[in-house]
Amino acid sequence: MKSLAFASIDELKKSLSNNEISREELLQFYIDRFDKFNKQLNVAIEIFDKDSILSRTNSLSLKAEGVLAGIPGILKDNISQKDRGLTCASKILEGFVSPYDATVSKRLMAEGALLIGRSNMDEFAMGASNEFSAYGKAYNPWNVDCVPGGSSGGSVASVAAGLVPWALGSETGGSVRLPAAFCGIVGLKPTYGLISRYGLVAYASSLDQIGIATRSVKDNALVLSVLAGKDKADSTSLPVHKQDYTKLLDGKLPEGLTIGVLENMLNAEGMDPEVKNLVALAIKELEKLGAKIKFIKIPAIDYGAAVYFVLSRAEAASNLARFDGVRYGYRHKDAKTLDEMYKWTRHDGFGDEVRNRIFIGNYVLSAGHASDFYSNAKKAQRLMRAQIADAFNDVDLFLAPTQAAPAFKVGTFADNHLQMDLMDYFTCFANIAGVPGLALPCGFTKNNLPVGFQLIGPHLSEELLFQVGHAYEQVTPWHTMHPEMFDK
Amino acid sequence: MKITREEVMKISEMSKLEIKESEVSGLIDHLQAVLTYAERVCQIGEDADEPSGKNVNIMRDDTACACDAGPLLEQAPEEDDDFFIVPKIL
Repeated sequence: MKSLAFASIDELKKSLSNNEISREELLQFYIDRFDKFNKQLNVAIEIFDKDSILSRTNSLSLKAEGVLAGIPGILKDNISQKDRGLTCASKILEGFVSPYDATVSKRLMAEGALLIGRSNMDEFAMGASNEFSAYGKAYNPWNVDCVPGGSSGGSVASVAAGLVPWALGSETGGSVRLPAAFCGIVGLKPTYGLISRYGLVAYASSLDQIGIATRSVKDNALVLSVLAGKDKADSTSLPVHKQDYTKLLDGKLPEGLTIGVLENMLNAEGMDPEVKNLVALAIKELEKLGAKIKFIKIPAIDYGAAVYFVLSRAEAASNLARFDGVRYGYRHKDAKTLDEMYKWTRHDGFGDEVRNRIFIGNYVLSAGHASDFYSNAKKAQRLMRAQIADAFNDVDLFLAPTQAAPAFKVGTFADNHLQMDLMDYFTCFANIAGVPGLALPCGFTKNNLPVGFQLIGPHLSEELLFQVGHAYEQVTPWHTMHPEMFDK
Repeated sequence: MKITREEVMKISEMSKLEIKESEVSGLIDHLQAVLTYAERVCQIGEDADEPSGKNVNIMRDDTACACDAGPLLEQAPEEDDDFFIVPKIL
């Protein structure tokens, strides 16, 4: 077997069942990797102690041999794990301990998964670089001078550096797919409602979904098989039965598959020529595998970033009203009146980016502006959904770049957050339409930074996305490549 | 897109979010940049003749269940028996 650090979930399960390694030793192996590399990457906010990890899963595990039995993974620090800290990488949740488990945490442990820790992220999942964390920036394992992407940067970079085989993140506008592209791994944003969000701290509830980061499509499909399905604790979860998402992974494309390449995105202004070239090569590979390629334009998606800015900030302003210093977390010590307590607590507890987004959100919802911004953004959302649904009458899947450029140096956009926020353009249309997206690596720039593309399908087409992604992996080497300095 | 100081102060009050004097001009610049970009939704929204989607509420019956307030109150910055303590209101 190759190095454990970059082994697939199947390989790890085999080693466990052949008694080549015990569950405890495997867990210790990954804990040691975090000990060794977390100082450099800052991808984990906390790694739990070994005994508590094992006893949590053992006490909840319903089956002796689950789908993820003995396989460690890390959860973004906005997903509740009972009796563990939960900070959303914000000072305002300092000291908060989650009183219950998210549905995903329960489902993972019921299948034997070992929840090893809490990963770093942009505060309240607001950012594209993982530079906005109260626990410090996270770094890209391919080049530690660069960002890993955000907001699920800690989760994704942990998987890319071989510190864990899988991780959960969350997506509101691309927060799993973008870092997956920056770090050269596979990232899934499922259909809205496929995975329960019970226990996920809300950012923008009409867009939020929990997503999955892995190094291969098959690993991703395995984790989704554990998580997907109706949950009565989340009224937005869809009436979907549990299923095995790996069963169509035979390395072939379905007969007569038509892929629509989104020309608006491939030819977007500011598209890096190296990225464009590598995505074009991925299209050729899929064509060789038998896919019919069509170039299509969906005009309304060019408004996606603007729609996303308005809707996400508006919902965030409402959702984050609950952080007020009364019931949990941080409270300003010097406040003498209730009003001071609210205002000073929220000023000092939230970071700049979160405060900015609350201001924008309440501005676009306020009297006199709501009709211009919020109502029109909702109308534009419906138009986007209609055009996207219409395009799926002609093609089975869309293909687009996940990013305009490779991972950038830390601090590049320190004075221009808008420019960074515009990266959402490539990913947020899937969240706005509620459809699933799978980000896949497709090569490296001459500076050895990963580049990716994404497949977007109609509602509940995850199985098809995995099938196509897996077939692509069988003829390309990108998912087997790992950052050298962590390959030991 | 022009944002005034008065508007920023009004939003600060509505959001119960302090803004320091030194932060006002930077915030105005940021709001103007983002909202100027976001204004394009008005253009497409006005052109769009999309029927509004009907939202459906998914309801369930309420069921009473015993709840130990202890672990929740323990998380409070200040509490006493069954209450959260906040600065004096009146």
